Amino acid sequence: MKYAYFPGCSIDASAKEYAMAANAINKLLDVELIEIPDWNCCGSIDAVHAYNPLLSVTLSTRNLALAENMKMDVVTLCSACFFTLSRASNMLRENADIKSKVERAINDAGLKYAGEVKVRHYMDVLANDVGYEKIRQKVTVPLKGLKVAPYYGCLIVRPPGIQKFDDPEHPTSMDKVIQALGAEAVLYPDKTSCCGASLVITDEEVMMEMTKHPLLSAKNAKADCIVTPCPMCHFNLDAKQKDIEDRFDVEIGISVLYITQLIGLAFGLSPKELGLHRNIVSPDKILEKLQVESKHGQNVVGKH
Amino acid sequence: MKHNSFRQITPEMTDPSFIEEIKKMPGGDKILDCIQCGVCAGSCHARFAMDYSPMQVLKMAHLGLKDKVLSSSTIWICASCYTCASRCPRGLNIPAIMSGFKNMAMKNNVRAPIELKPKFHKAFTEIVSKYGRMHEPELKMKITNKANFNELKDNVTLAMRMFRKGKLKLQPSKLNSSTHFSDIVKNVLKEEAKK
Repeated sequence: MKYAYFPGCSIDASAKEYAMAANAINKLLDVELIEIPDWNCCGSIDAVHAYNPLLSVTLSTRNLALAENMKMDVVTLCSACFFTLSRASNMLRENADIKSKVERAINDAGLKYAGEVKVRHYMDVLANDVGYEKIRQKVTVPLKGLKVAPYYGCLIVRPPGIQKFDDPEHPTSMDKVIQALGAEAVLYPDKTSCCGASLVITDEEVMMEMTKHPLLSAKNAKADCIVTPCPMCHFNLDAKQKDIEDRFDVEIGISVLYITQLIGLAFGLSPKELGLHRNIVSPDKILEKLQVESKHGQNVVGKH
Repeated sequence: MKHNSFRQITPEMTDPSFIEEIKKMPGGDKILDCIQCGVCAGSCHARFAMDYSPMQVLKMAHLGLKDKVLSSSTIWICASCYTCASRCPRGLNIPAIMSGFKNMAMKNNVRAPIELKPKFHKAFTEIVSKYGRMHEPELKMKITNKANFNELKDNVTLAMRMFRKGKLKLQPSKLNSSTHFSDIVKNVLKEEAKK
């Protein structure tokens, strides 16, 4: 299974480990992600879009045009890029005025977009192309006894109208992956709440209040860790967790893994290969629980 | 002006052309379909930080209260989580409307209640236009108030935390075909100027 891969700016910087782990598990799942050559910023959910909507849609379209040459579905790991590219693709279909302006802007620079590209999230590929059964078959270290809180966040399931593969109110695709790995997907109230996304830059107080909810709900549900399919959610839940603890004077200490990292652990891959050393909240507690050696990542002593 | 003081609206406060402007924005065509049911207000994860609920902002838009809408904190606090849009029984794309209001506010130089917000949008757009990709450290540098010691200190703390984990990219990524990319950006600006 081959896809045109759109990494996005977060994967290129703070979220590298998400892609490291994806690459590692892809080999076992027969998934091949071929990077779109010279991709640019997806166009942003709102940062560019509110300032200059035409520029945002054009940025998205340049990526779609580059991908169209590859004749494959576009796959991205990032929920925000997934949403932004999907929105542009919808707008080009529905808004003739924007379409003609965008076309003039890219045609003039020698690019063409026929509108044939399908944009998909990597979780969609796991759920529908790979399938839960195949994931189950590749498990060598079942995550027995591990309680995992799936945090879907927003843009992987919302709004309706983007390439929909899961329910916007009660998504279950990550729950099913977690169960296929032998772990328990805990039920908790905030799995589709919002982390505040870019408010981390423009209004930290508000973002911390928003991110506090899924963190505390997951902790109250006795989860060992949270998993997310989004670099922005990961940043707010993981990199900002200490600030949230300080701000609200609470102890949280819950590690936040990318869904690809959790899958990799169950496939018996080393923590190092999965980039777990890059997570800010230490994943040592869950590695201990799974009896996986964390320091150098060579000795996986779990049950094979 | 709070919700219960809508009765104090005078004709001078309203702009009858506002609704027509909104209808032209992406997602704005359905603005009058809003039935004020309150599902958006009840669903909003950021309502606690807004001066008006999304439902109230939509009502204010119906009434033509352009200045009130464009100077509200609501339009800037909206995090585009799309919970309201996925629940709205009338199919309004509320975050797209909020985004359109931000655009109008920036174009009309309306003073934002949170100063950092328009600065963020401008700086983000400039960096992406320059490199083709985002470079977070530069974004932070551009919008941080360097005279505020606490703000600087918090930035350094976070930067160190990221740096230790190899998550801080010091140099920006650049595109190979940077000329071709900047041609596209220039073309967009030309299209914008045509209006």
